[in-house]
Amino acid sequence: MFFIYKSLAHPELAGNYVQPFTLDERLAHARQAEKQLGATVPWLVDAMDNRLKHALGDRANSEFIVDPKGIIVRKRAWSHPAEVRTDLEKLVGPVENITREEDVKLKLELPIKSAAARGVVPRLKRSEQMQAIVIVPKIDPKGPSFFAKLRAETDPDLFRDGAGKLYLGFHLDPLHEAHWNNLTKPLSFKLEVPEGVKIGKLSFESPPVMAPSDSDPREFLVDVENWPEGKSIRLSVIYYACVGKETCHTVKQEYEIHLERDRDAGKARGEGAGFWDAEGFARQNLARDKNGDGKLNKAEVQGLIVPHFESFDKNQDGLLDFEELKPVSDWLNHHHQPGTALSTPK
Amino acid sequence: MRITLFMAMTALLTMSPAAAWAQRNPKKEAEFLITRPVVGDPLPELTVYTPEGKEFKTADLRGHYTVLTFGCLT
Repeated sequence: MFFIYKSLAHPELAGNYVQPFTLDERLAHARQAEKQLGATVPWLVDAMDNRLKHALGDRANSEFIVDPKGIIVRKRAWSHPAEVRTDLEKLVGPVENITREEDVKLKLELPIKSAAARGVVPRLKRSEQMQAIVIVPKIDPKGPSFFAKLRAETDPDLFRDGAGKLYLGFHLDPLHEAHWNNLTKPLSFKLEVPEGVKIGKLSFESPPVMAPSDSDPREFLVDVENWPEGKSIRLSVIYYACVGKETCHTVKQEYEIHLERDRDAGKARGEGAGFWDAEGFARQNLARDKNGDGKLNKAEVQGLIVPHFESFDKNQDGLLDFEELKPVSDWLNHHHQPGTALSTPK
Repeated sequence: MRITLFMAMTALLTMSPAAAWAQRNPKKEAEFLITRPVVGDPLPELTVYTPEGKEFKTADLRGHYTVLTFGCLT
């Protein structure tokens, strides 16, 4: 049994992890996942060209069963554990001891803590319709790490009419443990556009931030017109990234931005994935109430709640009700976006 | 017979309480099922990596049944 790491489906969720730019960064993600999940299951890592994801049809929640000769004997667009079990019983025969979820022994530790506070700079509101486009970082093996990583998204209009909004977000990579130094010049970048492309302006600077440091993304929305497919926009960025209190780096990095949908970039969900409002969260989770008692027992919850179930069960009745589930959302927001202040004391 | 459960997961860094975000789409699911590789085809031979950066070939999975599930824990 293996876990496979492939490109992130939901970057920014669950600890602000962002898409790695290099295989070494992917390997570091997989090692972090090993540590964080704490499972005894070994990990494998898809190559940077996403060959495994692409070779098997790129379909979320799909499933294949392969026989000992390496031939695919079952293919499903939507995997279901009960159907897998039935298939395996047909193919291999029934087993005496069924492996259950708890046998995997997930530890579910919390994500890496941000190097500085989050929730300091308000996130930019962007349309849920925006789609990630291909960015090509200019990687200099001897240059500084990509402490901040660009994510580019566009309106569907930009593909259709060549005119629309371009989102450019510089997200600190938690694996590099850097934060912004707001006591010095803020992040700035310049764009070089192909001839004929109309753009509001070419030079951008992040507004000053009062707090001396933070880890929030620096985000921009740019109006673009007449961007022909096949012609890339060049971006050069300069920022100061600090690791710890002493070590600050002046970083200059370059990217090419292509008007081409990046189907491996995942969906970052607007202004920051991983936030739940308290009542919506409680309602959504109560949909998992299988026995219909209006509360969740430990077998009916999933994810990070499981190892912390008892601490959320305020009246110690072994069940989480609507009122007990509401503060869980706040706790999860805090841990999924490490560095964000807890608004409800636990 | 040994069974290898080969789970492809994305953003596998914490488990979210949210329901899976992958949306079901009957048309795309039907297309997926008739797109190669299909039942009867060999599993593509590919090289991936261990977290330490060592190469791992999918061909090494031969010799036992493998369940390959693309899941997502976020």
